[in-house]
Amino acid sequence: MGGNLSEKTIINVDGPTDLTAAPRVVEGQGLFLDGDRAAPQQVRLTYDDAAQRLVLHAATATLNWRYTDLRALRDQAGDDTLILRLQHDPTARLVVQTPQDRQLIRARAKRLNKRAKTVRRGRLLSWAAAAIGSVALIIFVLVPIMADQLAEYLPPAGERALGDATFEQIRTALDETGFDGLATCDAPKGLAALAKIESRITEDMDLETPLTVHVLDHDMVNAFALPGGYVVFFRGLLEEAETAEEVAAVFAHETGHVVARDPTRIALRSAGSIGVLGLLLGDFAGGAVVLFMAERIIQADYTQDAEAAADVFAHNALLAADLPPSAIGTFFERLAADGGDHSGFMEHFQSHPALGDRIAAAYDAEPDNAVFRPVLTDDEWAALQSICD
Amino acid sequence: MTHVAPSDGLKTEFAGQRPRLFKLALVASFWTVLTLGFYRFWMKSRLRRWYWSSIRPGGLPLEYVGDPFEKLLGFFMAVVVMAFYIGVVNLILMFASLSLFSTSFTAYAASLVGVIPVWFYARYRARRYVLARTRWRGVRFGLEPGAWGYAGRALWHWFLTVITCGILWPRKTFYLEKYRTDRTVFGSATLHQGGTWTMLMPAYVHVLIATVALAVAAGALALENETVAMVGLVAVPYLIFGMIHYTVTAKRLLANHKSAGDVRLLAEPKVGTAVRIYVFGYLATILICMLPALPITIAVGVIEMEKNGSIYSSAPNTGEIYGLPTIVWTVLGVIAYFAILLLWSVLRHCFVTMPIWRHYAETLTIENADSLSEVSQKDRDEFREAEGFAEALDLWGAI
Repeated sequence: MGGNLSEKTIINVDGPTDLTAAPRVVEGQGLFLDGDRAAPQQVRLTYDDAAQRLVLHAATATLNWRYTDLRALRDQAGDDTLILRLQHDPTARLVVQTPQDRQLIRARAKRLNKRAKTVRRGRLLSWAAAAIGSVALIIFVLVPIMADQLAEYLPPAGERALGDATFEQIRTALDETGFDGLATCDAPKGLAALAKIESRITEDMDLETPLTVHVLDHDMVNAFALPGGYVVFFRGLLEEAETAEEVAAVFAHETGHVVARDPTRIALRSAGSIGVLGLLLGDFAGGAVVLFMAERIIQADYTQDAEAAADVFAHNALLAADLPPSAIGTFFERLAADGGDHSGFMEHFQSHPALGDRIAAAYDAEPDNAVFRPVLTDDEWAALQSICD
Repeated sequence: MTHVAPSDGLKTEFAGQRPRLFKLALVASFWTVLTLGFYRFWMKSRLRRWYWSSIRPGGLPLEYVGDPFEKLLGFFMAVVVMAFYIGVVNLILMFASLSLFSTSFTAYAASLVGVIPVWFYARYRARRYVLARTRWRGVRFGLEPGAWGYAGRALWHWFLTVITCGILWPRKTFYLEKYRTDRTVFGSATLHQGGTWTMLMPAYVHVLIATVALAVAAGALALENETVAMVGLVAVPYLIFGMIHYTVTAKRLLANHKSAGDVRLLAEPKVGTAVRIYVFGYLATILICMLPALPITIAVGVIEMEKNGSIYSSAPNTGEIYGLPTIVWTVLGVIAYFAILLLWSVLRHCFVTMPIWRHYAETLTIENADSLSEVSQKDRDEFREAEGFAEALDLWGAI
């Protein structure tokens, strides 16, 4: 027979014009794998179009496979073999290797290329939901609770080491040249001015560890605290501030976080993940993760209570040092008013609904007849603003 | 047709053709990139179906029945465990490390060391999954449970290999293969790995000589003896040859000592053919990849220069470059990066993986295959986790 048989041609050839003549029976052959023994059996194939099924004549049994249940295995190499299965039978197979039989079957079994359903996929959605839920629970509940608890017991030396490591990670993550991390600014006169602010605020305090103050050469308008007594300003904040008192107010606020060990909790949350994630995910994805973690530390998502406590600490510390608490209020007001891109810093404060209240609290904290001493001379203030030059 | 057990050996045919594989791999990788990697479970299943069906011992193809959805499910399960590990276990490690040693390095080291046994565990589990989803003549393969036993042995053999500077590598190869093979079943038949580890030693000689030569070259370089250091020019290609030689020969020897009852394997892969496939295959892959990669790399370089003004400028240009916003160029750069990655993996399938599989398949004969007819089916290994851990730890590159 030629290679051009289809359902119709068979009917035309075999459907005799003389209806009384017996129809010619088309026979084929295949290899049957019963899904039990690893022994292929030669089977004779016949096509029962009336009952719409393929009949497999094996040595011991005759099997009827309905055309609509026939499925072909997918993504098979080589066009010389067609392997059939039944929709609901996971193991039995029929291997068809003659071109004629392949064509006869393709013409009859219209659902050959549909998927056979064997795996129950209903559970998948619930598993996916459970997985996402568990991961969220771990990241947003379990890890923060544990970190907060553990932070209480971390000895000062450990806290310091955590701060050192985090500071280096932030410097590396923010660096755009990719060489040795974001530079710290250390013009001697600027550092002297910064030290003067520090001693003015902390001279009467009983700090567990001495503060380490740095300015990073980056135009972000922001400042943050890290474990182990780190208080870090970005150049952008020093340039944006109009008076040294405003810088001193921010300084006092961050010192409040240090004293309350707020950054230790935050850093401990991500410290466990930051390096290992980077290592596991490799350079391409890992770098992005480290950057994301570093930004989270800078944005320092403290609780509203922690912010309020740091504010109160700052007001008291500033008053004790004869400095105006209202400076923080004027600074925020100006940043909010000029509408520039201070996203990091302002978001940090705006994310807490009480920004207005906090500005008001800063003004309220200032007694009416208070007399203040300037924190820096004009020259010192100028030196601090150009500490990165 | 000669499929129904001739009394002598069953030769293996390989039916796969390159154009079909190219199309399959290209379409599947494309979807994988487009779905941010989620299609990779489908890609793996489809590629495995294709590779498995290419291999036809005695004219009847292997069948891969793994389902992409169960792979996705397994991945979810592994992600939960890994999230616990990365979040909670590392947090405790970090706390302990900071408290006791005042450094975070100990925690990173401990965390990485902790992953190593999991890595071996995952490899065994992944193999178990793949074998459980492989059939031939309608009968399932399988691997008996024993992943932690495997992880323990793998650690021990790696330890021995490391402290002997790699000399005992063949011992590791043999014992780990024996552990896996002795637990591999085909229906009611269990495989057995015969032979001894010392039989692999002669095949390892080239690697040893090349390593010594490399060490000499490195030492000479340190002592600035440039004439002797030239040895390195020969030693590097020799080492590559040695590694291919060892891989192919070890596979051949191990296969020839595998049996299941009377049934034996006869493997005759040729080292020369494998070397040719690797050298020309990778050469073809690299050369074809370079056609689009070269102009793209130059373009990216030009754009980067334009973006930064100069390499050392600290103020990136955030405006427009050649009339298009910077962000458009960044997106185009990322697309180009993935396009080259995609092309690389597709071409490697066509020019390296497929030819190597074809060579191993076509040189494999199953001897005394008559008694295979006695083998009967085994129960389905449900194995819900699939190869999730291997996936989460990125153990398998392509298939």
